[in-house]
Amino acid sequence: MKRYLETGNFAVTEGAILAGCRFFAGYPITPATELAEAMSYRMPQVDGIYIQGEDECAALHLCIGAALGGYKAMTATSGPGYILYADPYGWAIGCEIPVVILNSGRVGPVSGITGAPGQGEFYLTRYPTQGGNFETIVLAPNSAQEAMAMTVEAFYLAERFRTPVTILADQLVTDGFEDISVPENEEEMKAMGFRTWPRGINRGPVFYPPTDEIDIPPVVLGHNTGALCSDWTPTEEGYDTEEVVAHHKHAYRLIFKIRNHKDLFNHLYEKTFMDDDPDLVVVSYGTPSRVVNTAVKKARQEGLKVGALRLIHLWPFPDEHFKKKTKYLSVELNWDGQLVREVRRAAHKDAEVHFVGSCGDLPAVAELLEVFEKLLKGQPLARKGWELEEW
Amino acid sequence: MKTRSEILASGFGGQGVVRLGQVLGEAAVKQGYRVTMLKSHGTEMRGGYVRSQVVISKEPIDSPMVEFPDLFVALSLAAYRAFKHLVKEGRILYDPAFVVEIDQGLGCIQTPVPAKNVSVENFGRPVFANTIMLGVIADVMKTLDPEIILQSILQIIPKYHEENKKAFEIGYALLGNNR
Repeated sequence: MKRYLETGNFAVTEGAILAGCRFFAGYPITPATELAEAMSYRMPQVDGIYIQGEDECAALHLCIGAALGGYKAMTATSGPGYILYADPYGWAIGCEIPVVILNSGRVGPVSGITGAPGQGEFYLTRYPTQGGNFETIVLAPNSAQEAMAMTVEAFYLAERFRTPVTILADQLVTDGFEDISVPENEEEMKAMGFRTWPRGINRGPVFYPPTDEIDIPPVVLGHNTGALCSDWTPTEEGYDTEEVVAHHKHAYRLIFKIRNHKDLFNHLYEKTFMDDDPDLVVVSYGTPSRVVNTAVKKARQEGLKVGALRLIHLWPFPDEHFKKKTKYLSVELNWDGQLVREVRRAAHKDAEVHFVGSCGDLPAVAELLEVFEKLLKGQPLARKGWELEEW
Repeated sequence: MKTRSEILASGFGGQGVVRLGQVLGEAAVKQGYRVTMLKSHGTEMRGGYVRSQVVISKEPIDSPMVEFPDLFVALSLAAYRAFKHLVKEGRILYDPAFVVEIDQGLGCIQTPVPAKNVSVENFGRPVFANTIMLGVIADVMKTLDPEIILQSILQIIPKYHEENKKAFEIGYALLGNNR
């Protein structure tokens, strides 16, 4: 085990290499540029390939090409680049091509603020492409160390589910420095809970069975395949079709291969002070969850019955955590309230659901404590710079 | 040390605000501490705003936010004005070449460190101001071993080792009894 003071971008690079990634295509964008930079010298060191695309759309297309050639492939960007993935992302979902994508959230909309954190792509990662008829897997680490772990996990899930997996980080996770430990061999990887899945080759047909089966190896072109891997609806044998029934079968597969196997990732959450049915449950993901944890620990010292629920896998949304009739508070790095909408949808019908947001900077512990106190007393929040909505 | 030490540095792009945080973080890791360092910055390589927030702790760190800095290194007037109110019991080190207006009403210790001018006097250019400031930090901050800070500077800054060593020593002796 080696210990470093390094960025999340470095941690993700090392995680990807540990997971077997040997192809990276990207386009520089703050705050993911250092990831592309690290990959540009690390990939050749491990007999991998690094390509800078002419833009983000090209970068993900390159990854799809590499994956169809048998590589474990990855790309990384921030919000303004993630939106350019829309076209190839749909292709990867439709043709069931495993690829890992990192989105380092900064302040939006559009170019917004580059070197500051935001969480504006919660729903975008659920619907990263047009057309619907699919489910997505999204993981959200809250530290550099966990970003490494979730990168390894993303490759694992991408292979088993045969689908693109997004790691939704934020600028503070990727750009911030932290002391991290990098495992140096398989025993150390296992000790850290890292799991990997080898790349197989599908010898089909059938390439796209109308079932929710997982662990089917992906298509690798040139290996006894007639699969076209085009952007049209495929038949089970991999030919293009425009038949509604064939499309229905394929859509069923894209949705339920993920929904019916949530047990593979639904342990990815963290609960703090949640054993005694707290009066207020603070829900968050990514870096804000670390401030929430500090605030909740302080609240407990003051005798407030507050608990914290941190989501690590965001999609499919873990509805099962919100069945209690209590007060929920969603803390997010945006002003419009995104996670809170999903909490409201999933929560018990008589639960109270509240939201506090900030963007570009983390909320302060003291500010959160004040919010907790007010909500527990049933008082409305009226703070300059803070928005409170009844959802 | 207390369980958690917080250091805030802020100024313009190009002054080495991120490097400064990185050096202190690296030194802390070498001494076995847990470390987080957030950086926020504008788009520009030089001239934009930059802020480093370093947290050093014996325990795993939840919030990486600096809310009560033990040390605030102010390298621009805008940064000084934006964050001076955060410093309650800690200390502000500021370079008077940039921070030209001091709020005398603050309760904390405020120490001028003319790092830019000292660098120009000794090396003919301002580029070693950051290392001089790190020398001063090593002098006033008791958490980290000055030898390990110097070692971290030489590891992180690949060039001008002799000058950086000298600059660090100048900084370390700069305040003398005026600490």
